[in-house]
Amino acid sequence: MPITILPPKPSHPPPSPHDISDADSELSSDDGGGGAHLDFASLGLPSHQKSTHPPNNPLFTNLVTPGTLITPDHQWMRGHGTYIPPSTTNITSSLAGITTRTNKLISVSPLRARYTPEVGDLVVGRVLEVQAKRWRVDINSIQLASLPLSAINLPGGILRKRTETDELQIRTFFAEGDLVVAEVQQLFQDGGAVLHTRSLKYGKLRNGLFVALSGQGGGSGVVRSRRQVWTMEGQNGGGKMDVILGVNGYVWISKHIEQVAKELEQKHMGITNMEESVSAGVYSSQNDFIDSATMREIARLRNVVTALVENGCRVDEDMVIRGYAEACEMAMLGETGAEDIYLGGQRGEELTRALRN
Amino acid sequence: MASSTNVHLSPAELSYLHTSLSLNPPIRPDGRSPTQYRPLSAETGILPGTNGSARICFADGTEAIVGVKAEVEKTRRRWDDDTIFGENQNQEEGEEQDEGEEQGSSDWVELTVEIPGYRDDDSGTVFLGQMLCEALLADGGFVRRLRINRRFHWKVYLDILLISPPLSYPLPLLSLTTHLALLATRLPKLKSEGDEDPFFDDDWAAAPYLYARNPTTKRVTERPPVTLLVMAVGGNVIFDPSKEELAVADVVLAVSVGDDASSREGRMDVDGRSNNSGRNLKLLSIRTVDPPSRLTPPGVANAANSAYGHAQVVSTGANQKMPEARQTESEAVEGVWKPPRGGAKAVVMGALVQKVLVRGGVADEVLDALEGVDTS
Repeated sequence: MPITILPPKPSHPPPSPHDISDADSELSSDDGGGGAHLDFASLGLPSHQKSTHPPNNPLFTNLVTPGTLITPDHQWMRGHGTYIPPSTTNITSSLAGITTRTNKLISVSPLRARYTPEVGDLVVGRVLEVQAKRWRVDINSIQLASLPLSAINLPGGILRKRTETDELQIRTFFAEGDLVVAEVQQLFQDGGAVLHTRSLKYGKLRNGLFVALSGQGGGSGVVRSRRQVWTMEGQNGGGKMDVILGVNGYVWISKHIEQVAKELEQKHMGITNMEESVSAGVYSSQNDFIDSATMREIARLRNVVTALVENGCRVDEDMVIRGYAEACEMAMLGETGAEDIYLGGQRGEELTRALRN
Repeated sequence: MASSTNVHLSPAELSYLHTSLSLNPPIRPDGRSPTQYRPLSAETGILPGTNGSARICFADGTEAIVGVKAEVEKTRRRWDDDTIFGENQNQEEGEEQDEGEEQGSSDWVELTVEIPGYRDDDSGTVFLGQMLCEALLADGGFVRRLRINRRFHWKVYLDILLISPPLSYPLPLLSLTTHLALLATRLPKLKSEGDEDPFFDDDWAAAPYLYARNPTTKRVTERPPVTLLVMAVGGNVIFDPSKEELAVADVVLAVSVGDDASSREGRMDVDGRSNNSGRNLKLLSIRTVDPPSRLTPPGVANAANSAYGHAQVVSTGANQKMPEARQTESEAVEGVWKPPRGGAKAVVMGALVQKVLVRGGVADEVLDALEGVDTS
């Protein structure tokens, strides 16, 4: 059947409370103390606010929309996502999200938001503009990040001052549309980020597929975790695959290339020249040969990531690896075997249900 | 017309997509089979103020709603049309004349498309509207339904709204939603007779559907057209392409098909059974859609890349003078993206249309699936 038409669901199933609290504690751990869900009853709010939603679901009871009165009591302090209209003491929500309370501070964390860059984050970005001395990179934030010419490695690992010649040839490094993996080096006051690619791990991306996940919040999307980049074995005859989960919700899945070992072997280079040899291919936009089994497994892994997001699960190393194993198993049990990589619609729901149990 | 104005994909991604879609069988980035549509959820009758409405959502959040409003309008007579003066004499023997008279005019339908972020008069939006309108008006069957009598007709306003930003080329979504909205459209029951001023029954429950149902089977006998988006890449034909897939397409076609009910009825009489699998599809219109792949930047082969390998950044004079010119017309290299050049081959176009129209093929299945949606 090439097309499936389903009756509409009553509403999007909310992420399970377990996922929410997980994401919360990780996100707010650096503020010292996790956010506690705000209890409306303790704020003395009129009860009709609660009665519009099923009372047993903690997500719904804390859900506010822009303009919702959270509390008129002035003993509370207002935090992010709230405001106090002039000449009142009413703490009012300015976002659609979930209210959280930390001691006397009330804040609203949005259901879905753009990425807020932080120094040290690993991000995947797409070059949108090329300027005289820098690139402007889309990293799913409210502003474009900038990648200065001085913050990249020159081919061959040469260390020198950037000259006019480099400025003229800026497009040979990165051009419009190119994908880069980079790290946030510095933040401006207004939230704009400056990136750098001064590491062998960073640079232009090739040999793979890109997925953009929607913004953060609501328990789904990429969460900051210990490992954002890893290599995994492909099942069903596929080769090794590299996965880069950008903290900004951009994901890159590609074929793993054993460049270091190969080049070292060919040229009999010492470990000291490693940087020189490795960075040779950093600005290449030519794909290597990829066999169809690896391509299939890359597509399968991409579908796992999209299925996780569509069904409101967080995306991290553990979930992706478990999801991939589960997806392979599901495909083997199916009629067409390993060839079947489709995970949309109901298959995606099945997959996430299996992961939650 | 470019099906998506700014595709931002890197040459390496484009090359990867092109290679994986050219495999046999193709590997689509979202894992669908070549003929598979994205799963969607549909409902009708969502807008109480309209004569008929429908809403369709994709899983990625793309959502469209269509509302159909109808009003009574006086039929403008053509300058050479003397039936009004002749009608009193001819009324009794007017059978034959009615046959010829039962024609509508294309301005009885007004179709507007709204896409967030684009102006009403944006060429893309206008082109989308024209394609959808063209399919409706192609065989004159739709406007014929709008006729009330010789002096009055229904004027139908079709408002097609895409609610989400266009994540992919929205033509299939808008066409499917329009199809469902028209199926759910009901017009008030006519109480007056002949050519007198129309007078309607105010009981909405008695209102008949614009596309009449078979009273026994409750099935729609004739159906509005649907427009399918088909693309070819390498030797493969792919239905309902996503944005990334369109970005590497060699040819993109929008094919409108209708259900040729009249011939089906005839066949049913002969066969004595109503078979679903073999409906007679009628080709209504074809449009080529300019694939965005032609506007994509070409990739640079490693051999020509001054930033590749141990080459010094300050390179030889010839390279430095015209690096761009050297890149654009290079030979095809494995793994380097090269945008398609030249027009579509007639053989490919023929194969695409054939694939749509084949009995029991995709168009058939799409119409079957749409039939399953509750439009009452």
